[in-house]
Amino acid sequence: MKHLIPEFEKMKERYPEGFESSLVLPCLRRIQEDRGFVAEEDIVALVDYLKVPRIQVEEVLSYYTMLRRKPIGRFHLQACRNIACSMRGAEGVIAHLSRKLGVKPGQTTPDGTFTLTEVECLGSCGTAPVVMVNEAYHENMSTEKLDRLVDELAAGVRAGGK
Amino acid sequence: MPRLTIDGREIEAAAGRTVMEAATDAGIFIPYFCWHPKLSVPGNCRICVVGVEDKGGEWVEIACNMPVTEGMVVYTNSEKVRARRKATMQFITLNHPVDCGICDKAGECTLQDYHYEYNGERSISVDAKAHATKHYSLSPRIVLDNERCIQCTRCVRFTREISKSNGLGMQNRADHSLVRAVEDGSFANDPYSDNVIDICPVGALLSRSFLHKARVWYLKPTASVCPGCSRGCTVNLWHRRPEWRLRAPGMRAQNETIDRVTPLENPAVNGPWICNKGRDIAKVLGRARAETAMLKGRPAELQGAIAQARSLIAAARKPVAVVSSWASNEELAAFKAALGARFSVLVKADHEPEPGEVVQDDILIRADKNPNTAGARALFGEAPLALPPDADLVLVWGEGLDFGLIPAGAKIVYLNAWLQPENGHADVFFPTSIQTERDGHYTNFAGVTSAFTQCFPRPAGVADAQALFAALAGQAGGGE
Ligand code: SF4
Ligand code: SF4
Ligand code: FES
Ligand code: FES
Repeated sequence: MKHLIPEFEKMKERYPEGFESSLVLPCLRRIQEDRGFVAEEDIVALVDYLKVPRIQVEEVLSYYTMLRRKPIGRFHLQACRNIACSMRGAEGVIAHLSRKLGVKPGQTTPDGTFTLTEVECLGSCGTAPVVMVNEAYHENMSTEKLDRLVDELAAGVRAGGK
Repeated sequence: MPRLTIDGREIEAAAGRTVMEAATDAGIFIPYFCWHPKLSVPGNCRICVVGVEDKGGEWVEIACNMPVTEGMVVYTNSEKVRARRKATMQFITLNHPVDCGICDKAGECTLQDYHYEYNGERSISVDAKAHATKHYSLSPRIVLDNERCIQCTRCVRFTREISKSNGLGMQNRADHSLVRAVEDGSFANDPYSDNVIDICPVGALLSRSFLHKARVWYLKPTASVCPGCSRGCTVNLWHRRPEWRLRAPGMRAQNETIDRVTPLENPAVNGPWICNKGRDIAKVLGRARAETAMLKGRPAELQGAIAQARSLIAAARKPVAVVSSWASNEELAAFKAALGARFSVLVKADHEPEPGEVVQDDILIRADKNPNTAGARALFGEAPLALPPDADLVLVWGEGLDFGLIPAGAKIVYLNAWLQPENGHADVFFPTSIQTERDGHYTNFAGVTSAFTQCFPRPAGVADAQALFAALAGQAGGGE
């Protein structure tokens, strides 16, 4: 985390003095973006940097399900299961992904390539059903599109690309 | 100073007070779960709603976070308020397990009381209750039943604002919120942690040492003073009610033990809190007792021991007394009246800080681990504990003196409540009573005097120090 401190210092300028605890969330987001998850050493370093009680960092980490304390697969497939997506077949999308990857929602494939998660509304109901891959939206998903998506990602990994 | 009306009563409140505070000051009760007079206001439980009269009719809002304003008209029990409270109670009990039958808090639970007072109906929910961890060990001292928790966050705020350990937090969110201790373990080291058991409005936080020990209505609180340090916190010692004595054979011990210790609120000394040592004081008071007088280690009749001690006192040329800082003001005064002129008197510390114990902090805990050093010093002065080498009689009162400091050849008269090896080394030994066997007062480090009251009868064979001193001085009475 230490190498992010210059960035954190910049963020700090946007808050009134004495509001260090407000920085817990943006700092954790940045740490996760950087490392892929929030490690114990990040928590210790952040507590030391912000001078907030450790319990506040733990609370924020557990409150937001988007924050994780364990590494996940290289591709994070987040399938929406909320109303609009459900009405347009989200259950089928999730079941298909589950079958194809051989993992249940919440799990990672043994080779560490894919993690499948169910999430609530991604704010893209107009193009339901939606699956996010890392930061990218994949819209109007069908079984064929899912197969193509997963195969391409897997092929990319095999070819050594990103 | 704004003037407002609550339930038709006109009251005056300092500006900046909340409706809850103004009502409480005026003796008007408004129910609350999350509010606590010594903690910040989170306004999360919503049970404290009151109605406020307005042009457009009555609106309802929480009293704990509403500042008083001039001319405000407040109702604590209007139809609207009652309906809202009832709905709130339905909501708060939505996932509550209602396992009062096996809950230690039953009988002193705010949720139970309010249910009867403000709801009284079965749950209108048709959904299954959410489950959470039961019997979760929050620390070696505290067991958490998360299903009973109503998420008021009092316990969390206590560790942030009062004990400052920041030991507790609320993990996750909504109906799967969990009270949890911080992962670095600091809650287990919070010397004030057990106060969260008292302030939890429900039976979510349970004392392990009291777990399933007794239904609280079988117990009786006796006002007392914690002898754990010179703060002298006022406490309630809870023990079996006489009318609920257990009569089965071998139950005497249960009938005459302290089952739990809770704070007795006292703004002059400890506010509503005590430390964990105070909670455990029954261990100190429950140690094995000395119950027979002795002459050089041989059991003796009390009268014979008195006669022997009197002749030693009469024969001494340089008698010195080392008095106890665990003695009451009454006992110390009795000593002074009876024997103060005959002895030169020093005050000793009966207890020193134990290894690992918090010695002193800026909350309650004091470094002097004796309850009445100030009371003893007021009568006998501040002289340091140095026994003159030519003392030929030393009267030691209470534990904690290293007998190696007594000049060789000096006769020893010893008064002690506990069964300890020194007892047998005295020429005359008297077993004395402890604070749960008599009434008395201690004076704390700041000069505040607090009273303690007898809980149990004095065991046969144990002397009452006040009467004993009179007898040793040759006055009437025989020490019993
Ligand atoms: S454990 Fe008790 S004090 Fe703590 S939040 Fe739950 S109900 Fe409130
Ligand atoms: S602070 Fe001292 S007097 Fe108060 S409870 Fe603790 S040990 Fe007892
Ligand atoms: S419900 Fe899936 S994006 Fe809104
Ligand atoms: S007491 Fe006012 S909201 Fe809880």
